[in-house]
Parts: sequence; structure tokens; C-alpha cells
Amino acid sequence: MKVSAALPTGVAALLFESARSRRRLESRLAALVEGHGYAEAILPILDYLEPYESLLTPASRGELYRFIDRDGEQLALRADFTPMLARLLAPRLRSLRLPLRLFYRGDVVRYEESRPGRGRELYQMGVELLGMAGPAPGEPAAEAEREVLGLFLAALGEGGGPVQVVLGLAGCLDAALLAAAAAGEGHTAAELAAAVARRERSAVRRAGSVLLPIVETGLPGRPEELGPAAAARLRWLLALRDELAERFPAVSLSVDLAEFARYGRHPELAAEAGARSYYDGLVFHAYAGAAAVQVGGGGSYGSLFRALGADISAVGFSLNLDGLIEAGEAAEAGGR
Amino acid sequence: MIRLALPKGRNLEPALAALRAAGLGLAGYEAGGRSLRTALPEDGVEMLSLKDWDLPLYVEHGVADCGIVGSDVLGELDGDLLVPARLAAGRCRFALIGRSAELPAAGSQVRLATKYPRTARRLVAGRSWGAEILRLSGSVELAPVLRLAELALDLVQTGRTLADNGLVEIESVAEVAPCLVVNRASFQRHRARINAWLDRLEAAGAVA
Repeated sequence: MKVSAALPTGVAALLFESARSRRRLESRLAALVEGHGYAEAILPILDYLEPYESLLTPASRGELYRFIDRDGEQLALRADFTPMLARLLAPRLRSLRLPLRLFYRGDVVRYEESRPGRGRELYQMGVELLGMAGPAPGEPAAEAEREVLGLFLAALGEGGGPVQVVLGLAGCLDAALLAAAAAGEGHTAAELAAAVARRERSAVRRAGSVLLPIVETGLPGRPEELGPAAAARLRWLLALRDELAERFPAVSLSVDLAEFARYGRHPELAAEAGARSYYDGLVFHAYAGAAAVQVGGGGSYGSLFRALGADISAVGFSLNLDGLIEAGEAAEAGGR
Repeated sequence: MIRLALPKGRNLEPALAALRAAGLGLAGYEAGGRSLRTALPEDGVEMLSLKDWDLPLYVEHGVADCGIVGSDVLGELDGDLLVPARLAAGRCRFALIGRSAELPAAGSQVRLATKYPRTARRLVAGRSWGAEILRLSGSVELAPVLRLAELALDLVQTGRTLADNGLVEIESVAEVAPCLVVNRASFQRHRARINAWLDRLEAAGAVA
């Protein structure tokens, strides 16, 4: 009998040097995060669907591989480590000493249209810093955000290729988007958020002057235009960018609020948000090489724990190891 | 150097006119020539010549930093691209085409031939009639002429092809425009130049 070596769309077998490259990078990254006090958590690839039902957006539901087990339970393959870790830890937090520093590694499986650079099985490594208090109750845990973003930049350096990191704040455009929608020509706030994220200048110009500089430069004309709380956070983020740009000169760091316009927190905007819509504070993406496929990202997501009944701060990131390796190899070969 | 992808078909002329309006001299660029890539050092760009349906993939994957492609093609793809401008020139429309000017009766089921199955599905989802979508790769007008389908959904510019084949435009569905598309990561790297192009395009009235 002839046996085919074909695999389903979106998955790949790594053999020989490809496998060695991944393991080498994985070892370097594990040593890096363990050196910063993060302990490993090993999580299952299969879980019940039910605990996640209330956390799913249409986008995240669409990427799930789910099925009925032989005993009648609805199960899903792991599509994201963060909600799995959150739902396992939220009921146990009272008995744990905070802050918790955890890291994980393994596959996530997500349905994606078949396109280059977008596999359906991704090997990730990530960290989560849980329960580091802010300066006052209800205040963002800025020190946790600083620690995790710094570790993210250090981890990206292990990939060996040129890296761009874009920083933003989830929900900081909500007030401007809702005001523009209320005063505008029939676009909803969610439609305007999509137009800002796609840099559709003419649609945004019609909607109001506050949003236009954000589309063009990533920043408002003046931080105060976003309201006092968002303005204070933006000033903090710009200072953090400057501090980290000095510490990590090899990484190109920018603040671009338009990039995260769809990470709304207001219910009218959150309903239209993407698959990882649980971010509620600092949020960041990394692009390696020329491709627009992200090789990593993360941010603050305390609201995910609050939705699960635990009021703690949470900040984390994940890295797509094969994307980082590909970008490093392209840089070595002198490609774009 | 910005790598810019140009379409080979009907959007090439409007694309070149827009680039000139954006301030590019394009000296040495031979439109419709055999060369698939042309470096224009004076403009700081390299041009790629690509088919419409391939162009978004090149831009999304970062092989090209930006490009110009029709909104008809973008509506069929899942790509994550920035679309900062729709060109004023080169516009046409999606139209429902048939042998007679009548839309199907409410509750009826027809066959609809098109190169744009996603756009067709979105259209039919909001109608009182249903349709089996037949995906064709060209000469879509022939389908209603030869009764493969009752309707076709296709681009119409002047309507002359329809008239020559005894067909009528039943309904204009949506406007289609050539769009400037930009790779997300490239926008971060080349933001100043791309914004300067957009400023000039807007000043020249070349975008709408």
C-alpha cells in the first residue's frame, strides 16, 4: 500500500535542522524567562468548551476546533493559552502567593484561512504575571506592564532578526469613537474603529478631527483630546517607550493607537472586537522582518480574571517561535 | 526603498495616474512592458507587476510594502491590510445582470454566476429570493446568455458588453474603486513617505 506524506492544511512536521532550530530557540527563551523568576506551567491541549462560552467573541469562536467527545462533552482544542490559564487559576488564587510569574510553551490550534505565514497550528511560548498590585486600588498595574514588556523585548532579541514593536492602549479611543459616531453621518462606533484600524483617511476625516491625526501618526494632536484618564496613560506609555528604546536599541518601538482601535472596552465596541479582545490596558504587537504576520503580542487583561470572579491584575505575552525563526533566517540570508 | 505592487489589468492606468499625483516621476517605468520588477531609484521605489488576485497576498506577506488593487478583489479575501485611500479614477460598479430587467420573485430560487462568490453570498443574504452561487473565472456574461444561470453578478463600467450580448443591468449593487493597500508592518516603517503620498493625492483630488 502506498502511504501519502501529505498533512492537513495549516500544519507542518519539523524535521532535522528545522526541529533543532525550534528547540534551540525554545531553550534560550525558557532560560531567559526562568532567569527572571518565571516558573513553567504545563497545560492540556484539550479542554471543555463550556468554561469559555461567556468569554468568546464571534472572532474567537470562529477559530475554535470543537467537537463532542464520546461521553457527550463539548470539547475544544487549545486556541489560546491565556484564557485556559486564567480559568484554571481564578478559583485557586486565594490559596496562592501573589504575584505569580508563570510561563508556558506548546501548540495552539486555530482555524485560519489558508495563507502564507498563517498556520493553523502555532508553537507558542508565553509568560503571565498575575496579581502584582497597582499603586492604588483600581489603578493599572504599571510596574507589571513595564516588567512584562521589557521581558517581551528581551525575548524578541533571541530571534535574531529585525523587530518592530507597536504599543497601544486598549479602549483609549472608545470615548472619541463613540462621540464621533454620535455626531457623525451614520457610521457606528464599531465601524469607525475598523476604519481607524485600516487607516481609511476619508471615512475618518468625515467623522471628526480628533481621530484623523491618530490615523496618520498613531497619536492624537494632544493627549488631552482622549480625556483625562486616557491622556495620563498615554503620557505614561510614551515615557515607557522612550525608556525601553534606550534599553533595547535593536528594537524599533513605536506608539500607534490606531493599530489597536478595535480593542475597544465599551460594550458597543467590545462586541465587534477580535479574537483576543480581553486586553484592557497596555497592548502590544511585534512584527519581525517584512511580513505583517505578528510574531508575538500581549498586554494587560485583568478583566478576563474579573469575568471569572477574581479581581487581580494580569499581564502577559506570547511568541510564535516559528515566525521568529523564519524572520531570523531571512535576516541572515539578507532578505527583506 | 518602498516596494510597490501594481495591477496588470484595468486598474493599471488609474494606479499610474495616482502615483504621478502622489509625486512620483516614474521615469524609466514602462507600463505593460515584459519586466515584472522595475527599480526606480529616483523615486525610491521598486515596482512589481502583479495580477489583481495575487497582489493582496504579496502586500500582506510583506513582499511588497503597498499596492493598488480593486475593492472588488479585497471584498473576496480575508487579508489584514490597511486601506488608507480609494482612488477617484477607474471606478466601476457591481451589477446584477440578466436577460430581462426583472429581479427574481420573492421566495424563488435562481442560479447566479459570478467571479465574486463572497460578494454574491453577502448580496443574496439580504434578499427575499435565494440563489445557488456558481463560481466562474471569466466571461461571466455568457452564463445568463446561454442560460447556465438566470443572473450574473459582475463589474460594469460602460454597459456596452451587456448591450452587445442582449443583457440588461438589473440593479447597480455597489461602487468599486481601485484602493491603495499597505502592509501593516510597512506602514510603521514608511509612515512618513506614505502619509506624504496621501497628502498629495488628497490635494490633487485623486482620492475620494
